[in-house]
Amino acid sequence: MPEPESASQLPEHYFRHEFGRLVSVLSRRFGVHRVELCEDAVQTALLRAVQSWPQRGEPNDRSAWLYRVAHNEVLGALRRMKRTDASVDDAEHVADEASAEEAVLLEHEVKDDQLRMLFVCANPEIPRESQIVFALKTLCGFSVEEIALRLFQSREAVYKRLQRARSILRECVVELEPANLGELATRLPAVLEILYLLFTESYSSAQPDQLIRHELCEEAIRLALLLEEHPVGALPETAALLALMYLDAARFDSRVDGTGGLLLLEQQDRSLWDRDLIAIGISCLHRAARGDVFTRYHAEAAIAAEHCLAPTYEQTRWAEIARLYQMLDGVAPSPINTLNRSIAIAEWHGPEAALALLEAINPPAWLLGYYLWDATLGELYRRRGDRDRAVAHLTRALNAAPTHAEKALLRRRLDACSD
Amino acid sequence: MSTTKTKFLCLFRFAAAGWPAKPSSPQEMQAQYAAWQTWMAKFEKELIPGDGLMPAGAVIRGGTVTDGPYIEAKEVVASYSLIETSSLERAIEIIKACPIGMDPNASVEIRRLGGYSA
Repeated sequence: MPEPESASQLPEHYFRHEFGRLVSVLSRRFGVHRVELCEDAVQTALLRAVQSWPQRGEPNDRSAWLYRVAHNEVLGALRRMKRTDASVDDAEHVADEASAEEAVLLEHEVKDDQLRMLFVCANPEIPRESQIVFALKTLCGFSVEEIALRLFQSREAVYKRLQRARSILRECVVELEPANLGELATRLPAVLEILYLLFTESYSSAQPDQLIRHELCEEAIRLALLLEEHPVGALPETAALLALMYLDAARFDSRVDGTGGLLLLEQQDRSLWDRDLIAIGISCLHRAARGDVFTRYHAEAAIAAEHCLAPTYEQTRWAEIARLYQMLDGVAPSPINTLNRSIAIAEWHGPEAALALLEAINPPAWLLGYYLWDATLGELYRRRGDRDRAVAHLTRALNAAPTHAEKALLRRRLDACSD
Repeated sequence: MSTTKTKFLCLFRFAAAGWPAKPSSPQEMQAQYAAWQTWMAKFEKELIPGDGLMPAGAVIRGGTVTDGPYIEAKEVVASYSLIETSSLERAIEIIKACPIGMDPNASVEIRRLGGYSA
């Protein structure tokens, strides 16, 4: 039998990551308003690699090879455009300049280009949903179909959001996106939010395929690391976001049982938690503690750290967690924080105190329709021994729960009421 | 070495409309790449690597030069390679195992070399 070793020489996701790198580099050189052209060129370069590398062997410098081919593709496309449209005259100028540059890709430059692309994604003109889809396409190299699968959106919706971002960036031909990363630093909060949403989206998504969800979490961490490595992004809030990602990722696999059923925190097997990831997360949290900045990422990471470091569910420092939820509410006000705080308070002072907290707030309509509101109230009433109210709330929660896994969990709790 | 080996030219054709193809995602392309590598490794002793062909070219017919090749063609030759093996049957067997089969619009033409220059 022939050795199959040659089939696995490329690193995992090599093509996808290379796509993101090259689109970023080319978009910097040719302008983000030509991002679609750059994407097509990189796509073609990768296809050429598929067609020729197996036969002729991989080039010594794969990235340089791909860059050269993609770069020539862009030049060719610009030349064809010029023939039919005189207004792309300036394009030729940029192109000539760019072609004069050596086809050498310096690692730190490529990283800068990718980072720059991340800031381009955070263009305030682009709606948030489009920013996320656009980042997944250009920086992570996912196709429309793959994004649709990962974000639980229809292909049409993904495509529309992508086109929206592209058409806004096309306008940038008039007013070029600043080339200097420093000028883009004002977009840092938006960049962090994109990465946060990308992560939480995949972490809590209804996507039943664990692998697919892992992949998006990995991408969010990869981009956040890229951000923290650069002076522009090396801020406490970036470290806090990374801490949150690692501390959540550490517990990823323990959240489901062998059959895909959801497990509550108290049911999880803590020995499955990834100690290495927890250690990395804690060190990020230390870095995040520099200075006086306190963001929602700080609060959420600190809460995650409390859970990760508690030896058992019972030994969790609930008072600290309740305090952190209050601090979170100070920087990112939401009744959800109160809801979560009530759970900590229930563990700390019992269901009575927790119910008093929830009964004191005036929940907005959307919260009343949110299944976790009913799920929490149902559980608290059950623990207080108020069976009728417990059943009423749990039934409402069951009807509104978005996934099978969550429905199954609620059904088990409902059954527990009638015991 | 009892069996005499014959060379076959394999012309890989793709639908002109879809070539250079671009529907595959980078992830899928990497999978295709791995499939090609495995195929090449499996028939290493019989495959003589050819090359891919660039889309731009020219067609000269009766002294007239046109941009080519795919102005009027439905299919375009995208690459070629040689197989040196015992029989046409064996060459067919090798090509049947080729990942090009994953593309329903692609075809491979296998032709025995005439050997006139030998």
